[in-house]
Amino acid sequence: MQLTLNEKRLLLELAQVGTTTPEEMGTKLDRPAESIIQYGGLLSQKGLAEVVRHVNKAISLTQEGAQYLTEGLPERQLYNSFGNSASIAELNSHPYAKIGLGWMKRLGWVRIEAGMVIKNGHAAPSPLEIGLADPKSAPAEVTKELIKRGLATEEETVRYTISITDAGKKLVAYGLSLTEETGTLSADQISSGAWKTLTLRRYDITKHPRPIWPGKKHPYQRMIDEMRRILLDMGFTELYGSIVQGAFWNFDALFQPQDHPAREMQDTFHLSGKQELPEGWERVRDMHESGGDTTSTGWGGRWDPEKAKATVLRTHTTSLSIQHLAAHPSPPVKAFCVGRVYRREAIDPTHLPEFEQLEGIVMDTNVNFRNLLGYLKEFYGRMGFESVRFRPGYFPYTEPSVEPEVYIEDLGWVELGGAGIFREEVTAPWGITCPVLAWGLGVSRVAMLRMGLSDLRDLYQSDIDWIRNMPVIEGGRS
Amino acid sequence: MPVISLPYRYLERLCGIDRKTIIEHLPMIGSDIERILDEQVDVEFFPSRVDLYSTEGVARAMRGFLGLEIGEEVYSVTPSSITFSIDPNLTDIRPYLASAVIRGLTLDNEAIISLMGVQEALHWVVGRGRAKVAIGVHDLDKVTPPFRYYGAPLSRSFVPLDFDREMTLAEIMHEHPKGRDYSHIVKDKPLMPLIEDAHGNVLSFPPIINGELTRVTEASKNLLLDVTGTDQRAVMTALMVLCTSLITAGGRCESVAVQGTVMPDLSPTLRTIDITSCNRLLGTSFSADEIVHILKKMRYGAEKTDEKTISVRIPCYRADIMHEWDIFEDVAIGAGFSTLNAELPATFTIGCEHPIVARLAAVREICCGLGYLEVMPFTLSNEDVMYTRMQRAPDLRALHVLHPISEEQTLVRTDLLPLLLDLLRINKRRELPQRIFHAGDVVYSGKTCQKLALASTHPGADFTESYATADALIRELGVSYTQKESNDPAFIPGRAVDIIIGGEKIGTFGEIHPQVLNMFDIDQPVAGIELDLSLLFSGERETKY
Repeated sequence: MQLTLNEKRLLLELAQVGTTTPEEMGTKLDRPAESIIQYGGLLSQKGLAEVVRHVNKAISLTQEGAQYLTEGLPERQLYNSFGNSASIAELNSHPYAKIGLGWMKRLGWVRIEAGMVIKNGHAAPSPLEIGLADPKSAPAEVTKELIKRGLATEEETVRYTISITDAGKKLVAYGLSLTEETGTLSADQISSGAWKTLTLRRYDITKHPRPIWPGKKHPYQRMIDEMRRILLDMGFTELYGSIVQGAFWNFDALFQPQDHPAREMQDTFHLSGKQELPEGWERVRDMHESGGDTTSTGWGGRWDPEKAKATVLRTHTTSLSIQHLAAHPSPPVKAFCVGRVYRREAIDPTHLPEFEQLEGIVMDTNVNFRNLLGYLKEFYGRMGFESVRFRPGYFPYTEPSVEPEVYIEDLGWVELGGAGIFREEVTAPWGITCPVLAWGLGVSRVAMLRMGLSDLRDLYQSDIDWIRNMPVIEGGRS
Repeated sequence: MPVISLPYRYLERLCGIDRKTIIEHLPMIGSDIERILDEQVDVEFFPSRVDLYSTEGVARAMRGFLGLEIGEEVYSVTPSSITFSIDPNLTDIRPYLASAVIRGLTLDNEAIISLMGVQEALHWVVGRGRAKVAIGVHDLDKVTPPFRYYGAPLSRSFVPLDFDREMTLAEIMHEHPKGRDYSHIVKDKPLMPLIEDAHGNVLSFPPIINGELTRVTEASKNLLLDVTGTDQRAVMTALMVLCTSLITAGGRCESVAVQGTVMPDLSPTLRTIDITSCNRLLGTSFSADEIVHILKKMRYGAEKTDEKTISVRIPCYRADIMHEWDIFEDVAIGAGFSTLNAELPATFTIGCEHPIVARLAAVREICCGLGYLEVMPFTLSNEDVMYTRMQRAPDLRALHVLHPISEEQTLVRTDLLPLLLDLLRINKRRELPQRIFHAGDVVYSGKTCQKLALASTHPGADFTESYATADALIRELGVSYTQKESNDPAFIPGRAVDIIIGGEKIGTFGEIHPQVLNMFDIDQPVAGIELDLSLLFSGERETKY
């Protein structure tokens, strides 16, 4: 049990006298009585002493009461001011006429007959007069009346007694050291070596501190960085680019037919202004119209360069991947991007008009579909998804396409992204002759699964307390 | 993607297997199961596989996939004397029409529902909401050939489906529910597309509504199909998908001569595929025989030409086969993705962070060290938050979206500090002090740039705090600055500083103006900082793509 020096000194004194008052102890220990009460309180919390609070009520006369004690109460003064009888008119000239007359009647000292006040012949001291003379022994109702008439007041006085308990005695018998204890160490105590002679007070470690909140990254950014780390470790180059793109790179270069509904205003955020078409756009046109120099039939119809000049907020980061490939058509290329993408969707708990997408591409001689499955398995495995399976999928710019699913406890197989090999219609216009493996992933969807969120908005309009309480390292030992 | 309802009874009858086996294998032929109900399963198929939009089509694929019936279905078309003429006036209105006759059907309710389902799905996926392609299915026995497809005036009238009185085309466009849905496709045209028989009976007003006269019922035995549209290839695709699924349902197909062209041609397309290319793309080592067998399971016709090549007959309904890789994908699906072993290649590359992303990570580290908590607000915002509440004039370089989805998201953010203030509003009941930051993309003048903002709120947040924090921040960014009194109205006059680096203003800090705090509904003082990082990261200012 940890006792301060003051508590110890008080306890030792108490052991001598058993019971005492704070004043007495204060004198002995050279401390104000209030401090003694405080130390006593601390000791009593530990069961070593007992502090008893005694409340005393004392009645005393007011100035007015004291005056009446010598001069008599108003009714007595009025009674003494006339003979056996007097007219009310006569008595009215007396200063106490009003208050005195009522009391004289109530006490049975006088009666009133035909405008005359007539003494009854006996006027024994009233209970109030007796109480005034000796307020301390007055019965309660008299005391009450005295206070009501403003003749007396009641005062509370509080007194404390402190006594040692058996536990206290035991502790003293066991022995208490009166060495001075130190709380906060001063620089001087440390550097001078004085600390060697000090007793450092032991603190109460059961009390929790007030929480402090360190500055840290957003849990979502931390997850994004974890994904980036994985891809960097796997030898991928990071891409970063404009969120404003031409429809050419966002759609046409990816062999998205020009009448595809996803390109329309309902699904994609269009912006004002036109984007210039890059060099080589004619090859993309030919690919759409007839399959260019490949074995493809193309979509047929006429491809409109004006439609490809529209400006949009990128609907996927694939618009960056294809530009990177167009700029680096020789193998090997391994690149990835984690970036925000935009879809014109109404906000609800699982849909937002903007969210993050991760995308990885691998271009090399002789890479194949099984290699794509290999990358998917490796990536998801490093993300902590041990079981991965593959289903056929469809994306306009990949062939073959695949939808990876991961197994999540309690949820079963969950579709997590899409993948495929870029169609030749996508790669051929840029002179790329090797297969390009590509996969994409909704990062915010992984965040929801990993962080147990039910509403995507919590990632972007976060409750600060949620960020504060998300540990930097998850799943540690408890 | 359209959701197709597959009724079990009909599906089991067509497949010849139990529903459990079917449901189990549906995802592996390329569909998402939406829901499993008592009487039917609702599935989503990929938009490329329009041939799977009918119960008949799914049954055909499933029987092959499970090896119950492999190889191509052969569709014979017998000639008929039925003809169609096309009015040249429709050339700029809705020029293409394709047609066929199906005879000898016994349609039960489930077959009719399946027919309506495939029609709707084709309207949606191939027809782009009927603009590109619209389909009419008619009871042939109610009308008399020859038929004509022509441009009619708005005053022409007939009894449309689901009505019991004659209406003019103009009335149908305004009053019929389908007219309200689809009249936008033809409303500005000088003439309306119309299909009539030899006696002037109206079969259809494409792309809006058929006539009541030719309504298909369980009593209908012989059907006339019309497919109209603006794209010849799409029109033919829809016709072939319809014909083949009706043949699978038990019908016989007869041809129609449309303006002299006899159709439909339900013969397969021929392609020769190279086995080595296929194995190289998939990473497999299938023999020619194995590939032939797999392709037959996927309902292709296939024969080995030699050990290196296979001659493939692509069913007419497979509109998605544009390139030989499309066939290779079917080899992978037919073999089963689960039989393909995932394997990493030996490609050697060295990982490399993007310099801008690396810089942003370093900036985050500085801010965290200053005790700030990262937040990640939306990039889409609006004039009110971005400028009005900040007492700032709208930034003319801001990028506005043309068709905002709500008043909340009308532009791409040009600044970050307003979004931090909005987050402080959301968190005003949370424990103080609150210190938050964000480093991320903004767009102005069409360019994606990076900014950083920090905000601190608590009873003692003031100019001095913003100054000390900005000073430390800029020091850690490795640059030196000079300060200039700022007249940014978002801050209290005399308590705001413009940060000048290399003679250029790159940011501002100070104590947020109480009027701004009122507008954001924040009760405590806020010290704020905002920097344009893209002006600092010289050499990396321009993103390449």
